[in-house]
Amino acid sequence: MKAELDIVTANELLSGAVVYLGRDGALHAGLAAARLFGPDKTAERDALIAKARASGRIVGIETEKVAVEAGGVLPQRLRERIRANGPTAPYGPERQDLGAPHVSL
Amino acid sequence: MYRYDEFDHGFVKARTEEFRDQVERRVAGQLNEDQFRPLRLMNGLYLQLHAYMLRVAIPYGTLSATQMRRLAHIARTYDRGYGHFTTRQNIQFNWPRLKDVPAILDELAGVEMHAIQTSGNCIRNVTTDAFAGAAADEVIDPRPVAEIIRQWSSVHPEFTYLPRKFKIAITGAPNDRAAVKFHDIGLMASANAQGEIGWAVHVGGGMGRTPMIGKLINGFVPHADLLAYLESILRVYNRYGRRDNKYKARVKILVHEEGLDAIRDQVEAEFEAARGGVLTLPQTELDRIAAYFVPPEFAEVATEFDLEVERRRDPAFARFVENNSFPHRQPGYASVTVSLKPVGGAPGDASAEQMDVLADLAKKYSFGELRVSHEQNIVLPHVAISDLRDLHAGLVAAGLATGNIGSITDMIACPGLDYCALANARSIPVAQELSRRFADPARQKQIGPLKIKISGCINACGHHHVGHIGILGVEKKGTELYQITIGGDATEQASIGTILGPGLSAEQVPGAVETLVDTYLLARASPEESFIAAHRRLGDAPFKEALYGSR
Ligand code: SF4
Repeated sequence: MKAELDIVTANELLSGAVVYLGRDGALHAGLAAARLFGPDKTAERDALIAKARASGRIVGIETEKVAVEAGGVLPQRLRERIRANGPTAPYGPERQDLGAPHVSL
Repeated sequence: MYRYDEFDHGFVKARTEEFRDQVERRVAGQLNEDQFRPLRLMNGLYLQLHAYMLRVAIPYGTLSATQMRRLAHIARTYDRGYGHFTTRQNIQFNWPRLKDVPAILDELAGVEMHAIQTSGNCIRNVTTDAFAGAAADEVIDPRPVAEIIRQWSSVHPEFTYLPRKFKIAITGAPNDRAAVKFHDIGLMASANAQGEIGWAVHVGGGMGRTPMIGKLINGFVPHADLLAYLESILRVYNRYGRRDNKYKARVKILVHEEGLDAIRDQVEAEFEAARGGVLTLPQTELDRIAAYFVPPEFAEVATEFDLEVERRRDPAFARFVENNSFPHRQPGYASVTVSLKPVGGAPGDASAEQMDVLADLAKKYSFGELRVSHEQNIVLPHVAISDLRDLHAGLVAAGLATGNIGSITDMIACPGLDYCALANARSIPVAQELSRRFADPARQKQIGPLKIKISGCINACGHHHVGHIGILGVEKKGTELYQITIGGDATEQASIGTILGPGLSAEQVPGAVETLVDTYLLARASPEESFIAAHRRLGDAPFKEALYGSR
């Protein structure tokens, strides 16, 4: 049985990199660190969104639906999967959306 | 090429400094995103899915070797080692960091470039024929007029907040290679009864959600009056263009809703008032600008080239010459298109190393000049035919020698959902798969000229409406689907493709294109009848039938 949950994602101000609201309340690169919010956690989620927004370090914060399947987190929209995993037709062999010097967190 | 004067230098420098200050204030938290967004967009800085994207203007697609080298340097130093050349003859960097952007703008200003007016509801970079100033069929070199339009439209105080963006294209040749009828204003060289050259003005063309073919509003506007005429159109648009609905705000909708005659009456009234005034271009000014575009000092070179001999000796080279060279007006010369569409590549992408090689080769073989074509290739406009072999060897070494210009694999594709925040579906993987499917040069030759154009959403940056075969990515219930259109044409015989049927999955697209191609090959009257000509003769029916059966 797969559970549908929310994650909170944004783009980081300095690099534009994709970031997620993590379990520790901080912003992280990488979907694996994203905190999952169940339907009972909406108020807490919204408070954290407001806090993240107030930090001024992110742009365009969004809530996205994910499914938890076989231990992995799968965003429901293809757009979100591409945001999480980088371009599906990357230029060259390496992922460009990850790590230094791209992400400034 | 045009060289900045003191005003241009001062203006671009001041804008860069202003933006540096804005970025600093944004990073320091003194500006929030709502305040900063319009400022960054005015300087060509977008936020895409994974990063910022900087769109740099390449005025009418013309670049010097020095400028190309600087673009390579920027790609290498501030970005991820490549850039994407677009259908608007610009370049986009996909991974710049916000704090580096002022430094990038400094680098650009150092070679007389900038990113101003590459976004926003203003007059965008004017585009033209990539073979301008070189093509054998050209009536007049459009670049001086393009430059004059650039100067007039740069931070024009009245036209900085138009109802919507505004694009002007210009061609000096009767064979339109600049898709002028699909721009807000399209200018085409024309002659009057006295044999003088002026401009036929089309208005209200465009692609996007509501594709329209531009309508002829005036068959002949003399050089001297052109700015006054353009300003008159812009005034009418600025006054009556719809600001209540973004999807109805382009001039094409105004022309469509009000009718061409009503718009013409308004424009002519404005023009009556404006003509002979401050916007009249004196011949001395025209001559001054034209002097920047004098042809290079061509040498007397051999004009003979035996393609048959080359075909036996080096088929890849012969193919390159056959497909990628274009008739030059100077005997002994050709314009060469360097394909940015290798098998399995992303259309329009070039690495920093390739940009450097292109700069070197332009310096060596093309008087230091390059062009970006709206079909996302690079043109070396003035190459001596006797240098073609050496040029080809240089391109081979850089992976730039694909001899496929005009063929089915010379596709246009926008960045799509791999990068673009507005996308519904991916474009690049579709193009890559098609390029693999049709990689065989013999097959390409058998098929002949065929233009495939792919957009990742209805904004149509990938010009799918005017593809002989157009592919439009849409989203349905969370999956990507692709609508196939047929019969579009961006040339002077402008037409908009029609949708053949329900959307297909990405996996079905290559097969569908094969089906359309096979249908054409079976039905063509002769090998000389091109895909688009056959479609004109046969209509949609046989293609629709082949793809969807009789449902
Ligand atoms: S056509 Fe759509 S998906 Fe493609 S670049 Fe333009 S806005 Fe983005």
